[in-house]
Amino acid sequence: MERLLAIWIEAFATEESDGSTLRRHVALLDALDALCPFTESIRLDLLVLPLRAPSRFFGGEPAVLDAVGNAVGELGGCDARLGVADGLFCAEMAARRSRVLAPGETAAFRRSLPLGVLSRRDLATTCQRLGLHTLGAFGDLERARVAERFNKHALALHRVARGELGELEGQRDPRLGSRIARLRGEGVRRDEQIGFFGQRGAGDERAEAAVHRVRQRLGTQAVVVASLHGGRSPEDRAVLVPWGSPRAREPDAAPWPGRLPAPSPATTLGHPVTVQLRDAGGEPVVVGSRGLLSGAPSAIVFSNETRRDVVWHAGPWPLVERWWVASRRRAYLQVLLGGGEGLLLAAEAGRWFLVGVYD
Amino acid sequence: MFASSPQRPAVPADLAARLRPVSLARTRTLPLGEPWVGLVPGGGLRRGSTVVVQAPPGLGGLSLALSLLSEASARGHWAAAVGVDDPGVVAIADLGIDLRRVIFVPRPRGAWAESAADLLDGVDLLIVRPPARAAHGTARRLMDRVRERGTVLVALTETDAPWPLPADLSFSVTAAQWRHSTRLDARHLTVRITGRGEAARAREHVVVLPNHRGRAEAS
Repeated sequence: MERLLAIWIEAFATEESDGSTLRRHVALLDALDALCPFTESIRLDLLVLPLRAPSRFFGGEPAVLDAVGNAVGELGGCDARLGVADGLFCAEMAARRSRVLAPGETAAFRRSLPLGVLSRRDLATTCQRLGLHTLGAFGDLERARVAERFNKHALALHRVARGELGELEGQRDPRLGSRIARLRGEGVRRDEQIGFFGQRGAGDERAEAAVHRVRQRLGTQAVVVASLHGGRSPEDRAVLVPWGSPRAREPDAAPWPGRLPAPSPATTLGHPVTVQLRDAGGEPVVVGSRGLLSGAPSAIVFSNETRRDVVWHAGPWPLVERWWVASRRRAYLQVLLGGGEGLLLAAEAGRWFLVGVYD
Repeated sequence: MFASSPQRPAVPADLAARLRPVSLARTRTLPLGEPWVGLVPGGGLRRGSTVVVQAPPGLGGLSLALSLLSEASARGHWAAAVGVDDPGVVAIADLGIDLRRVIFVPRPRGAWAESAADLLDGVDLLIVRPPARAAHGTARRLMDRVRERGTVLVALTETDAPWPLPADLSFSVTAAQWRHSTRLDARHLTVRITGRGEAARAREHVVVLPNHRGRAEAS
């Protein structure tokens, strides 16, 4: 069962008639969303978020709890309690008691809860007459006994008590999601999306806001945009720059003599990795001074020692025009592997590099 | 005045049916280009749906996923790609995608799902390539959010690390065959397309992706 952080705000359980409770709930949801985009609104008084991914990111659960505590505190005016446990039911119970359970503690915690937490007075009364006061004692009853003594709802409660079900029936407010969507007016916002002819549309602003969120999460270098400019090989033509850097120039569609023709590899390695090419006799394949291969490649060996058969090759195409500019002698080779994979290799300074995969 | 005149000729029923506004249905679907428009049930990508593209490594899964974006991108929709670590920019442009409206998060480190969720509000189409098999809970939450936000999620997975939940539409590459002369010319991909509901019966198609101009086309 998933480890969850629950945020319980007792004051939100009774809703104000002026809609302020829902608005405050959404403000809290948005604040938590910035920390963990998988924050879920369960009921007006309860939100949860899965703890595993944000802990990795923030560097440990205490750091997440701090961050959430701060986010709640900054909104002000609501007294929120935090709790951590496995599964939605126990997470809420932990939050109501301000308990942060260590991994493995959930079962004992659940067993110790009084039967009243199931909010079924008939069941609690009957159990008390039988001398059962905790979820643990109720859960220890045999399923058949529960079935004969109580109705079918009790069977689901019994599974919760045993830890087989993580969530109590009725624990979620099924209408909350659509109420939040209505409050945000999301039903209408999608249609006026596209900007015309370079005009800045609503879509552009939304995209920018989304980029901003990712950059806050991962750092400013994490989001990049691409453009093309003149160059002969796919990796020379591609420009990937962090979002917000000045664009190099508009995409350039003019033909460029000596350019490798389409199709281009869908993956081009920013940092080409060295590979070895071998001929049928196991000798390294090299590009000679006249631009010819020393032998037909029959195998490629990757840096992790993986060896694959080469079944076809084309090239090499030396990029002659470039030599005087960058004093760089480069030749390109396309190969097909036995499994049908196409690769683009480059030879430079006597070594072979994998520069692209036709994925 | 003419509009309310009793002399106004009645509109024939079949014409009236065709004139009925279709804008609502349109905005709920994002357009697909060739060859997919003729092969996918409904001819478009329904907003809020999750599309899975699955292929053995190196056999065209990435090109296929990108080709699903091209028509919508060319018409002005924003797209993003999370986890596509070394995007082949020339190939992407050749597919007809407008690079000015594509956001790349090539290396989201441990936070691919969070980055994807962050981007859902800002784009109409989102490619995610998880680094390993996605956890069930992560996939479910992402798909829930996609449904809520009306984005189209394209989950790109390798055959041995499939997407853990059923998708609304799935493309599975079963074979890839390059045509070559003195260089690689075009690749014929055999793709099994499975929809949901009425379209649940899987159909296999052969498409050319990429062709000699780097685009996708029917074979």
